[in-house]
Amino acid sequence: MKRPIVLLLAAVVLLPLLVRPAIATEIWIFAIFGLGLNLLLGYTGMLSFGQSTFFGSAAYVAGWLLKHYAINVFLALGIGMGVGAASAALVGYLCVQRSGLYFIMLTFALNQLFFFTAYQWTSVTGGEDGMPGIPRPALAGIDFTNPLVYYCFVAALFLVALWIMRRIVESPLGRILQAIRENPVRAEAVGYDVPRFKLLAFVIGGAFSGLAGVLYAMLFGIVPLEAIGFVFSGNVLFATLIGGSGSLYGPVIGSFVFIWLSESVSTLWARWPLLLGVAFVIVVLFLRGGVVEAWSRFWTWRSSKPKA
Amino acid sequence: MAILETKSLTKAFGALTAVNGVSLAVEAGTLHSIIGPNGAGKTTLFNLLTGTFAPSAGRILCDGRDITGTPACRVAHLGLARSYQRTSVFPAFSLYDNVWTAAFATGASWGGLLWRPADRYAEVDERARQALADVGLSERSGQPAREISHGEQRQLELAIALAAAPRVLLLDEPAAGLSPEETRSMVALVRALKGRYTIVLIEHKMDIIMSVSDRISVMHFGSMIAEGTPAEIQRNPEVRRAYLGGMA
Repeated sequence: MKRPIVLLLAAVVLLPLLVRPAIATEIWIFAIFGLGLNLLLGYTGMLSFGQSTFFGSAAYVAGWLLKHYAINVFLALGIGMGVGAASAALVGYLCVQRSGLYFIMLTFALNQLFFFTAYQWTSVTGGEDGMPGIPRPALAGIDFTNPLVYYCFVAALFLVALWIMRRIVESPLGRILQAIRENPVRAEAVGYDVPRFKLLAFVIGGAFSGLAGVLYAMLFGIVPLEAIGFVFSGNVLFATLIGGSGSLYGPVIGSFVFIWLSESVSTLWARWPLLLGVAFVIVVLFLRGGVVEAWSRFWTWRSSKPKA
Repeated sequence: MAILETKSLTKAFGALTAVNGVSLAVEAGTLHSIIGPNGAGKTTLFNLLTGTFAPSAGRILCDGRDITGTPACRVAHLGLARSYQRTSVFPAFSLYDNVWTAAFATGASWGGLLWRPADRYAEVDERARQALADVGLSERSGQPAREISHGEQRQLELAIALAAAPRVLLLDEPAAGLSPEETRSMVALVRALKGRYTIVLIEHKMDIIMSVSDRISVMHFGSMIAEGTPAEIQRNPEVRRAYLGGMA
């Protein structure tokens, strides 16, 4: 368990040296978003195709308050998490009784509902133009407008978020959610209220998404309409699956691969999504555990090879 | 007093009445078997007792208290635990995690649900280990459930029910699909549990039923056609007719 932490800390330190601070920051924001999704997808076995609902709602609400009332950064983050959790409670309540395709389509449909609300409500959200002018207010003399300072802030929050998620998945709740994924009927029979636990997973995942949403709005100074759209929901799903939905670190690696590809390779080659498509097909066909599984398979193969 | 009782319990699926006016009284500390040909409604009766289905009519009482309509996830907390005819475990979990999950559900406290590491619940840990020990799977505790043999999965199935520290064990064909040798050890196991728990047992294999039961109830086409001691049931002409199709 020690090694991933060391690797991660190295990545946190080295990343801004390798890529622009904005991209480095976006990677950790997306990783927080992925952590929230993975509690649903990897641990509970619920494929939510509507995570941007919580991400976007939080970004709009906290963005609005930051812009018009210049609230404290931590208050904005707290409100964002609250909005993310509340919208997830609403969506989750409607979805947890369904399963399979119906569940996926319902998360998608409700996401569309939120999307079109944001699209139409131009006086607040700016519609297609997005909600610009979101500040990064200074906190106790620390100037967050400096990209590196903001990077450090986000990276620190990411590490806290990762630590909290680790506590959650190693708690009884984590095991109960996995039991629900493995066998919902038996989980119910041994005494767990399955819909209620699924709802709890939604709410926690929603709070993580909300945190990511507010950090995203502050990073770019705008809440684009896409932040609540289905492409965003798809992106986080994509990233998590490529990284590996079966493990805690999967979405973090997935976020790194996804954002790095989309920001770096896209400048070299306009058809970069093709690469993602190929990666996705490989994961689905051969590597259900994503990059994490590939990595552990590689090491098993290395260590099993007789030394010449 | 009866620990578990049903009064004119009925369950209809459309035109099919799977359980028809069944009244049953299970005395505390006994092993009460329910037998009957395939499709007699035995498993449906279990599903009613454990809250998987709500009955169409009739009542269920536990310790004299009406528990009709209690949802499945609450029934475990009343002290009723079941095992399934078709193995229903948590495949990717280790055997230990399988029983731990059941033990935690009925644990003394859910304090620290979101926060405390799952391995820091001493009482749950003890019950989980005891349940594995009771069925003789202690040495396998770290192995994933999907990797053990069918016979061992049947033992695990039983261990999950035991881990809940129930007062009433509802066992749905614990020996289903077992070899003669495995069946013998399963019978020995059930016999060892007798007295420690009140047991309601569904079983097809007559030799098992006759050797371990205190009371036997016979179901046929959804109705209870006879009840008595093993000796009484063996002599009952109606039971013989149900089983042998009127040739006896």
